[in-house]
Amino acid sequence: MIQASSRKCPRTLLLIAVVVCHGAAWAQTPEDVLTYRGPDREQKLVEGAKKEGQVVIYAAMIQNQAMRPMADGFGRKYPFIKLTTWRADSEDIVQKAAAEVRANNVVADLIEGTGAGEQAVAANIAQPFYVPAVEGLAPAYRNPIGLWAPTRLSYYSIAYNTKQVAPEKAPRTYADLLDPQWRGKMAWRIGSSTGTPLFLTNLRLAWGEEKARAYFEELREQKIVNFGAGSARTLVDRVIAGEYAIALNIFAHHPLISKAKGAPVNSRLMDPVATTAATMSVVKGLHHPYAAMLLADYILSKEGQAILARAEYFPVDPDVPPLPALAEVVPKVAGLAENLVGPDQLIKYTDSSEDIYQKLFR
Amino acid sequence: MSVSAEDREEWGRARMSPLVALIVAILLILILPPTLFLIATSLHVTRPDGSFGPFTLQYYRQLLTSPYLAASLRNTVVYAIGSAVVAITLGVTAALIVERTNAPGRRHAFLAAILSLGVPHVLYVVAWLLLLGRAGPVNALIERMGGAAQSLDVYSMWGMIVIEGIGFAPLTFLLMAAVLRSTDASFEEAAMMSGAGPLRTFRAITLRLGLPGILALLLLIFIRAFESFEVPALVGLAGNVSVLTTDIYQSSKNASLRSYGESGAYAICLLLIVVLLLIWHHRLAAHARRFQTITGKGYQPRIIDLGAARPAATFLLLLTFLLVTLLPVGMLVFASLQPFYEGLTVESFARFTLDNYATILAPGSFRDAVANTLLLGIGTATAVVPFTALCAWLAVRRRPGAWLIDQIATAPLVFPAIVMSVAFLQVFVSLPIPLYGTLTSVVIASTVRFLPYGMRYAYAGVLQIHEDLEDAAKTAGAPPRLVFVRVVLPLIAAALVSCWLFVFLQAVQNIALPLLLVGPGTEVVAVALFDLWQNGQVTELAAMGVLWVALMLAVSACFHFTAVRYQHGI
Repeated sequence: MIQASSRKCPRTLLLIAVVVCHGAAWAQTPEDVLTYRGPDREQKLVEGAKKEGQVVIYAAMIQNQAMRPMADGFGRKYPFIKLTTWRADSEDIVQKAAAEVRANNVVADLIEGTGAGEQAVAANIAQPFYVPAVEGLAPAYRNPIGLWAPTRLSYYSIAYNTKQVAPEKAPRTYADLLDPQWRGKMAWRIGSSTGTPLFLTNLRLAWGEEKARAYFEELREQKIVNFGAGSARTLVDRVIAGEYAIALNIFAHHPLISKAKGAPVNSRLMDPVATTAATMSVVKGLHHPYAAMLLADYILSKEGQAILARAEYFPVDPDVPPLPALAEVVPKVAGLAENLVGPDQLIKYTDSSEDIYQKLFR
Repeated sequence: MSVSAEDREEWGRARMSPLVALIVAILLILILPPTLFLIATSLHVTRPDGSFGPFTLQYYRQLLTSPYLAASLRNTVVYAIGSAVVAITLGVTAALIVERTNAPGRRHAFLAAILSLGVPHVLYVVAWLLLLGRAGPVNALIERMGGAAQSLDVYSMWGMIVIEGIGFAPLTFLLMAAVLRSTDASFEEAAMMSGAGPLRTFRAITLRLGLPGILALLLLIFIRAFESFEVPALVGLAGNVSVLTTDIYQSSKNASLRSYGESGAYAICLLLIVVLLLIWHHRLAAHARRFQTITGKGYQPRIIDLGAARPAATFLLLLTFLLVTLLPVGMLVFASLQPFYEGLTVESFARFTLDNYATILAPGSFRDAVANTLLLGIGTATAVVPFTALCAWLAVRRRPGAWLIDQIATAPLVFPAIVMSVAFLQVFVSLPIPLYGTLTSVVIASTVRFLPYGMRYAYAGVLQIHEDLEDAAKTAGAPPRLVFVRVVLPLIAAALVSCWLFVFLQAVQNIALPLLLVGPGTEVVAVALFDLWQNGQVTELAAMGVLWVALMLAVSACFHFTAVRYQHGI
């Protein structure tokens, strides 16, 4: 509350107000809190968060397996903060948060999801923030001015039905997908930026426009089924049920989870492996900057990343390993090139990849 | 637009009773925000932050100049007619048997209809695909008998028609049963006694008297088919059968932020079509006396003794039950007991597991959301039913200006649920009163969404009540309020009970509408379902579906028994 009104006051008045209201406690504008880099960061955040008492995150993480354990862990560490979560798809999250910002009725402090950070930037509702943990990450995983930070990674591969396709016959390279025997037997997911556009963008970035375009012209002849409803997980389920022999560009770990239960499905990475990062952003005009920063720190801490790993996600922290059962689809482990279609690139290329889809594959 | 002379006269004189004016005002407050938003969306570029950018006609242009328009339009019309024929054939046949004959066990048909309506639509479609898909048991059987060449390809127009049509059969059944129950059967008896056979009686009497109900159904099914998405997307797209909704879905960019320009433009076009259809419907209803069979003269629906044909009728009912309920629900139960779904194979029977149920019933979103969801359903149905009963009565009795009520209350039928959700989000988040994120806000939006269904149920019901009954009450000195409460409501109770259940069942499983409106703490089960749909395996989704159907059945049974007791009481 103090922070919200402080912007309107001259500096001296602000200082007086701060001293009066907070005694000797440290208090700054929300901008200062969000980007504070001092060694006493956690201590100051804790002090401020105690006064705020709560924090709200809109996240696309699965509620039961990921968000709930994350909230439990955070609650144990900071019992004085009430964490409220709301789960939806990234697009819905940004839409809701943007509506809140425009109506000046901001409920969310943090938002998280695949594409969430970049969309928040596009919608102009993101505010720069600093999390120490991002310093250990490669530049591609960071936003130069801290408008978003990555939280978890996703790797994409093909899924194939092992009863219809013997492992030795399953495609190993993108060129193998052009084999006439797969004509009409492959499906991919349309209607999501991590579906067909990502498949196309990945190859455009890795191969260059010309080579990629020539490949797409050939791939077009394969009459890929445009799977229109449901998620990538749903598409894998359709492969297990035998409706399609092969699914392109699905989350590489989904087939492994089903395979472990005995399902006739497997995934195969293909070089280059499309990789994306889910991101989080701070919402402009947030009411709980201290608690929000504690939560952001916690999600990127070893503890938070381990919770995500247990929820079958791939941690963004290179020191936190994914579940052993899922390690085989980590490109590094498989000895393949990881082609990070970075958050900014995903946005930048999606439109033109959509156009390619419309012209060639619809 | 052609408006009847009578309407023009009404409008010209601008007479409007205070009650009608009040209802029109309430309706406008409810419906104007999403309507205006829809129009604005279709005419403006949407900026990444959700605000409107410059004015444009590009969405209408795209819609009308799409190279796929002709084929999609043709497919949509075939699909709409086809599914309407399937739904009406199944629903009307079942309703006739239940309401007009003494076939044994006929009353259980209600339970079957409710059971089927309790299955979330997405799951319903998935269940049919599990059944008829390439790896489904039906094709396995065909291949064993006649070879792979004869196998069915469900990803085709007939597949879409069958699945959508069967999915709509419970609605047609409930509506027609309500209409038939309030139609005096003595006309049919008279026809039979004059020597007309059952078929002729059906054609000349039952069908004609039931015309308002059938027209209401046609209207609903037609529009629903025009805006339906699940079946076209899951069934049609995979077989390259494109209809208008999937055409728009494929054309609209999913980059950066969502824009609903094209679907908005499409919805506005549909809205115009609905307005025309309603004007036509309204003119037809002007001759309502033709259909009024509930007069003061000892009205009592009578039962036709089928004699030796009784088992045949029961068999027909069972067959419908098998198609509409047993097969899809059975497929769900089977899939819910599997660790993964690989078709109905011999090995799969050795793999039964309860793991999926353990996952769903573990502490988490499903358990948390049940209470909210029931409140949402009860709130919505309880708001929609009496309100639309009053609206329909005023509209049918042609109170000055009341034709407007019907028009306005039917408009939400064509609003895409997601656009409505966005519209209401913008409204609630900007209101000075703290409605944003509350369950009340979801109930309000949901009430608007289901007004058209309430209208059609109640309209068909009121249309059959002869004015004499109300006149008698009026002559005896009853004020209009009392006439409505003591005469009209009891006479259309059957239609209202069906309507309440239908709205309840639809409201609790609507995914798109509450998506953006619920906030932390007001989650509904549909959100948990959506979670699973996005991230869960189909077997977990099936387990949730089965639990859900069981819960709905329990709620419906409670309701049914209460309703029956109430009806006996009056």
